[in-house]
Amino acid sequence: MQKPQQQRRSDPRLKKCSFCLHDTKYIDYKDYPTLKPLTDYFGNIRKRYYSGICLKHQKMLRAAIQKARFMGMLAYRK
Amino acid sequence: MTDTADIAEETEIDTRIYECAVLYPFPLNQKEEKEAHDGVEEIFEEAGAKQVAKDAWGRRGLAYPIKKHSEGSFVIYHYDMDPSKVKEVSDALKIAHNVLRFLLIKPPKGYEIVKFSAGYERWLKERGTEEDRKEEAKEEAIKRRVADKAKRQVRRVEEEKKEKPEAKEVTPIEADKLTAELEKIISDDELDF
Repeated sequence: MQKPQQQRRSDPRLKKCSFCLHDTKYIDYKDYPTLKPLTDYFGNIRKRYYSGICLKHQKMLRAAIQKARFMGMLAYRK
Repeated sequence: MTDTADIAEETEIDTRIYECAVLYPFPLNQKEEKEAHDGVEEIFEEAGAKQVAKDAWGRRGLAYPIKKHSEGSFVIYHYDMDPSKVKEVSDALKIAHNVLRFLLIKPPKGYEIVKFSAGYERWLKERGTEEDRKEEAKEEAIKRRVADKAKRQVRRVEEEKKEKPEAKEVTPIEADKLTAELEKIISDDELDF
């Protein structure tokens, strides 16, 4: 008898920073389509553990999201 | 003379590009809208700023109501301005009429000014390619799984064949022999029962 194949969750440590792959120097607060998927349903910024983003870009992302929130492009809280 | 020339050069060097995003309330009369836009541009002109680019995004829904407005229109200005005038401009913008929000920042080195429409078109193209790539990866995974399953089945069938080939092969020969012998017996007239 063969064992039933279990769906394995991908190892969070193997995730690569999507901004590093594109060699991003600056995250623009006007760039809605890149910021939106990095916030969750409630409007919080996704944790680095889940999104796989490096610390340098996470800090840039936080600054961009805060600016976008101030301008009314992203929600503070849903 | 040289000193004044140096100072002039320095002042030229000292100006740098600033990016200003202004959020106007959306349902506005044409007159009010024109007044608001002109007012903001006047503030910059008074500070001696040169307009580099202007990108009007138009009507946008807001993520949360600002001063009871659920819709607004964004305009992104790029100005070449003296850094010492920034305070003056931002103070003036704070009390400007019909301005919901404004954000005056200095873009980093090597920042390309991209108009919203151009950026949107590029995003549309990239999004398509990304979706295609994902679909291709999915299809490949399914194909690989099917191929693996087929291989496994073939292997299993071969193993089963190996386990009981003799039993199957022996019986037909024996049956042939039996029939031949039976026929011999039947056709033999000498035998009496």
